Amino acid sequence: MSEALSLYVPRASGVHRLNPLTKLALAGFLLVAGLAAPGLWGTYLLFALGVLPLALLAQVSRELLRMSFRVVLPFAISVFLIQGFLWPGGTPVIGFGPVSLKQEGLLFATAAAGRILMVVSSFLWFALTTRPDTLMTALAQRGFPASLAYIIVSTIQIVPRFQSRAATILDAQRARGLETGGRFLQRVRAVFPLVVPLILSSLVDVEERALAIEARAFNRPGPKTSLFEIGEARWEPAARWGLLAAAIGVIAARFILYR
Amino acid sequence: MPSLKRDFSTLTLVLIPVAIAINIAVGQLIYTLKIPLYLDSIGTVLVGVLAGPWAGALTGLLSNLIWGLTGLNVAYAPFAAVAAVIGLLAGLFSESGWMRSLWKSVLSGLITGLVAAVISAPISAYVFGGVTGAGTDVVVAFFRTIGFGILPSSFAQGVSSDPLDKAVSFLVVWLIVRALPMRFLARFPRAENVQETGQAAA
Amino acid sequence: MISLRNVTYSYPAMAAPALKDVSLEIPAGQFCAVVGANGAGKSTLAFAIAGFIPHFYHGRLEGDVTVDGKDTQAAPLHDLVLSVGLIFQNPFNQISGTKFTVREEIAFGLENLGIAREEMLARVEETMALVGIEELADRSPLALSGGQMQRVAIASVLAMRPKVLVLDEPTSQLDPVGSREVFTTVRALVAEGQMTVVMIEHKLEWVAVFADRVIVLSQGTVVADGEPGAILTGEGLLEQGVGQTRYTQAARRARQAGFWPADRRLPVTLEEAAAGFGEANGG
Repeated sequence: MSEALSLYVPRASGVHRLNPLTKLALAGFLLVAGLAAPGLWGTYLLFALGVLPLALLAQVSRELLRMSFRVVLPFAISVFLIQGFLWPGGTPVIGFGPVSLKQEGLLFATAAAGRILMVVSSFLWFALTTRPDTLMTALAQRGFPASLAYIIVSTIQIVPRFQSRAATILDAQRARGLETGGRFLQRVRAVFPLVVPLILSSLVDVEERALAIEARAFNRPGPKTSLFEIGEARWEPAARWGLLAAAIGVIAARFILYR
Repeated sequence: MPSLKRDFSTLTLVLIPVAIAINIAVGQLIYTLKIPLYLDSIGTVLVGVLAGPWAGALTGLLSNLIWGLTGLNVAYAPFAAVAAVIGLLAGLFSESGWMRSLWKSVLSGLITGLVAAVISAPISAYVFGGVTGAGTDVVVAFFRTIGFGILPSSFAQGVSSDPLDKAVSFLVVWLIVRALPMRFLARFPRAENVQETGQAAA
Repeated sequence: MISLRNVTYSYPAMAAPALKDVSLEIPAGQFCAVVGANGAGKSTLAFAIAGFIPHFYHGRLEGDVTVDGKDTQAAPLHDLVLSVGLIFQNPFNQISGTKFTVREEIAFGLENLGIAREEMLARVEETMALVGIEELADRSPLALSGGQMQRVAIASVLAMRPKVLVLDEPTSQLDPVGSREVFTTVRALVAEGQMTVVMIEHKLEWVAVFADRVIVLSQGTVVADGEPGAILTGEGLLEQGVGQTRYTQAARRARQAGFWPADRRLPVTLEEAAAGFGEANGG
């Protein structure tokens, strides 16, 4: 797993042992609820009572908090500053000389930051606790197309290689005197000698990779089997249906109650 | 005769991960070099051109979801629909033969960028409070100062960056397609949309 | 096992044929090397035997290709891959990228074939032992050296139990250690289990030691066909862009200067060279 691009951290937690589809359902519910949560503090409540306990159960709370903070912070700063100070015709609340924070802006920013937090943390929780290949296998066992599973998992395995190839091309071009600093137009012109060789060399591989999976009977019609079985506890399928119903309920409630 | 089955040949299937990896690697490279563009959809556009609108849409969609789920840039995930539309449009423009000429490719990019800005604005406004968390927020700030609403300010920010970014992306793809040898290009489902006499020799 | 009769093939959008009226019979259990200049049609031959011509590359194929009793034009590709395994140059491109351990990677083809789980587990263990990569079982296939990756690719193909193994320059991207690993593995397979091997190679010293038969291709036709000692010392090799082993080159120079017995055939291996020089020197 070290070579692949993935947030997954292995832990001996009950959450990690859950079927990946159950975790998907959980994360999906949190996402929907996070976006539909009413009022100013609904999202924060959901984070505290929903996401955080789940992260603690999965023993990934430290990673979750650290990463959520890192991603949400720039947005939070931006939204508070921009919407806070620049809300047109807003009611001033705190003054800083000529400028002041507006009440409407602060309220909006608080609500927005809460939504960003919920979206980011539900994604992160899911990614931290789920191995991509077991997710794909679980989906494939339920009829998910093998081609989609192939695309997703092979992407995350080949991206690190592409990243280092990009770095190599950058070094090579710089050694040849490519200027990557300086004025805007110069920097934009530097794009082509960097990007075009990277893409062309990557495309060379495509034909061979297609040959290789054909040689492994990937396109054989008929069902595929799997080396490992992804199990689940007996209550999990019911739980997933429950979560789906709850998500629909939340959306419905939001539209009906808060028009 | 374009068909969904033909579009998703094994070659397309293998092209898509490579295209997504190109999106990510190039996007990161551009960011490190502090070049004021995103260039994170070149792969998506390429797939749209070579394998049709639906393959392009899938590439865009998966690109953004993978960007988000692998923690590279979680903020990309909510914009998956926008990326899908970019791939879709790239395929449609190519179907109409627009990717054959330099200036029409650039124009396709400009239009696609505009559409992307339109679709991104509501997502940005609702999920991210109308900001991007980056330097481009100065545009948002400006429009808010002069009294624009959240959605229009977000749209203005999009318009100030997306059309140029997509125009450059489409230009890069036009260059790539011209540099590809005929023998390789001919194997792709929608290659006839971009093949012409000026093609590089095998 | 492998039979080509009057095979002529042109790639799509290419005017000149890549193979011209090629006829070959390769019996079961033979280790057959194919040599020739770049563009001579070696890879095309490999693809034709494996069925990727015509199923993957399309184009215009005339003549008959029969492998393991199957007509490659009539049988579908997913049936042909059960008879013929294909290995090519770039180890990285042969790793599916969908599995996180070598064990699972080897099982990838078996999963596609719908083989039952117990059978898969057994075959994977057996194949890893055969290729000698048991210690790599739990490692990521992408975190290996070139030689190791190539052996994983071979194992992945072998697990599908083909009767024929076609290798297209399998060692060209490997260092000497990796090359040796691949050659000895393939040779052992032929010695053990009636595997028929067709290997395209440029490393003539290895071909001389390991192959039973050498076929020389030039511009799409077979220009020489026989046992390594005879073919690799043939006079026309240089025009055909094939080259000679170091031992042959050395002995040829020596013969001109009188240091090689005039009636002795030029060597292609170290042993033959040592014997010949020994005879010339010691009497």
